[in-house]
Amino acid sequence: MAHVAHTSFYAMGTRCNIVLPGFDDDAADAVFRHVQNEIARIEGKLSRFHDGSDIFSINKYAVSQPVETDNEIFEVINSCCRYHQITQGYFDITLRPILEYWKEHPQAEKNEIDEILARTGTSNIELNPENRVISFKNEHLDIDLGGFGKGYALEKVHQMLTRFGIKSAFITMGESSVLTVGHHPAGDHWKVGIKNYLNADEAVHTFQMRDGSVSTSSNFYPDDDGTLINHRHVINPQTGYPIDELVSATVYSHSARDAEALSTAILAMPEEHIQQLVNHFSDIVVLKVDYTDNQINKKVWEYEATSVSH
Amino acid sequence: MNRRAFIEMISGLAGTTFLAAQMPWFTVFTNPSGAGMSASDRVRVGFIGVGSRGQTLMLNVQEFQARMNIDIVAVCDTWPEHKERAVAMINGQAEGFLDYREMLDKVQMDAVIIATPLHEHAQMTIDAMQMGIHVFVEKAMARTLDDTKAMYDAHIDSGKIMLVGHQRLFSPVYIKALEMINNGELGKITKLRGWWTRNTPWIFYDVPGGRGSALDRQRNWRLYWDYSAGQITELGSHHFQLANWVLDSEPLSVMGSGSLNYHTDGREVYDNYSLVFTYPNGVHFTYDLLDSNRHNGVGFQVLGNEGTMQLEANRHFAETPPRPPAIRTLIHNIEKSIFETIPIGGATWIPAEAVKYGGNYISPDYQLNETLLFLEGFIEFVRKGEAPPKLTEEGYNASTWSLLADEASREGTILTLPEKYKIKPCQA
Repeated sequence: MAHVAHTSFYAMGTRCNIVLPGFDDDAADAVFRHVQNEIARIEGKLSRFHDGSDIFSINKYAVSQPVETDNEIFEVINSCCRYHQITQGYFDITLRPILEYWKEHPQAEKNEIDEILARTGTSNIELNPENRVISFKNEHLDIDLGGFGKGYALEKVHQMLTRFGIKSAFITMGESSVLTVGHHPAGDHWKVGIKNYLNADEAVHTFQMRDGSVSTSSNFYPDDDGTLINHRHVINPQTGYPIDELVSATVYSHSARDAEALSTAILAMPEEHIQQLVNHFSDIVVLKVDYTDNQINKKVWEYEATSVSH
Repeated sequence: MNRRAFIEMISGLAGTTFLAAQMPWFTVFTNPSGAGMSASDRVRVGFIGVGSRGQTLMLNVQEFQARMNIDIVAVCDTWPEHKERAVAMINGQAEGFLDYREMLDKVQMDAVIIATPLHEHAQMTIDAMQMGIHVFVEKAMARTLDDTKAMYDAHIDSGKIMLVGHQRLFSPVYIKALEMINNGELGKITKLRGWWTRNTPWIFYDVPGGRGSALDRQRNWRLYWDYSAGQITELGSHHFQLANWVLDSEPLSVMGSGSLNYHTDGREVYDNYSLVFTYPNGVHFTYDLLDSNRHNGVGFQVLGNEGTMQLEANRHFAETPPRPPAIRTLIHNIEKSIFETIPIGGATWIPAEAVKYGGNYISPDYQLNETLLFLEGFIEFVRKGEAPPKLTEEGYNASTWSLLADEASREGTILTLPEKYKIKPCQA
């Protein structure tokens, strides 16, 4: 029987699991500690809750004075701004104030939402690459990297595992983000199923992966009876309204960071934009499942070499 | 936590063997004496020692004085300014004394609260109980094992209550923690770790003549061997009590070492210690005391194969988060060379209880003042005329093992409790 090393730990508000086929526990332990420390380091920089984190400082000070950042944080924010552009605004790290407003005012009027929406938006973050300085154009900005951090962490973990010479690994963060390295010992890839929320034992889709990530975003959770409940925490950045349909979006990419950022963006994105996005990235596959009315409406987008258009 | 939630928590545990065996005193809050507000039900309380700690105890009693029908009838301190401050605190309603014997002779009282230097506890406690007065005495009990045992014997002979001020015994956090430990949530307990670290000269009063002077020995008594075992009796004893309570046992032996390596100002007591207590089943409790670095603060950890509790921080850490079924299947399949799709990807798993960066809270509520609860409990026990024997035994065991730890670390020996200091274990 092949030996499989495994560990699990809490980070970024969820459970993380690492599976290393073919490793004995002692050898795996050093790897596990490095990975866990790296994820904790990233969480310590990116969390908006930790009052020592870089993002906490930016949120607190960037409106009154430009905040100097280190290379890593500047690159992270810059990367989020690029995703904002590429996704035509559907990836947006500044929607937190709208979400909070909805929480406090479930019956909010359109004009109230429009007013907040006009002040938010990643384009209101100013970046100066020369001295790595970040400033906010107004006091309503509040960066939330919840739709980015796990993918970024997995990208770093992927690099780390490569440096350790690891040829096969399976890593999950909260199961919404899955990183695979190499292939399953009994196959030439990993088969990663995306859960069917109407039938827990089934996969609604299987990704065949080598050295890649899948990331899933959704706007619902199953309650104790299995009924899907819209948690209304996903805001359409174009309208400022929570998404009404029960949808999940999964992106497969070689880059864990791309998979994470794009799955968040695609949740609200109209279908006609999705094919454009897939063609732009060329190595991604998108799965979108609509569970509204207990029906499964599933679509998959893959790269179409002949229909590239910008 | 408000009082109602606290009472509900105890009511929820009423009748369990856990509560009866490990913390029977809590039922005093759900089953009070029933005394009323009449003059005949009034409890008359005196204070001996109203310095820094004694003043705090007095403030606590004043908080519930009216509600619980208590009269503070006398206060005593050998320092006139302390005595006068205490008399002023109760608007001159009680008489002040410089000599506790005079106070005990002159004033009728039901209970006395003692917060004097450690070496003075024994005679005061024994005198009071022999005069028929119940005693709450600050920890640790006494400076010597003989004095400690004499206090316990006087308590048994007189039939008077003697409680020792280890206030953690009345903390709601520890009710919850001990319940979780009892339920096996840490798995098998394999080690305890504790530390009390500060960066302080620990000088309560600046006196003319400075360190080593006769006046300094009286006022800063914690710094001199004759009067105190320093950090061991004044701080560590709280955690030694906790270790005994968690493991439901006294130690089998203690060894240790200590030195003065920083506060070399003429004091005698050590400013740092490393101690190891051995308990049954091969469990060790390692303990550090330090007065020259406060980075680690104060901590007490219970370590088991399935989790960790940091009792001072009210935190519980599971050794590993629950493993999702899909990961179990994946591992099984890899082991058996099965290559199949496993449905795993989906919405982000969110823990049922919010997992904080620093672990889960043991008890979500933390704010109750356990010193106040302990004193309230004491007054209720005074009304009933008795207290659970285990409550007194917790104080006794913490005190004897504090003194043994002091002796072991000064002599560099491994010590056990001599037969003559053993008390007959009482059932609760």
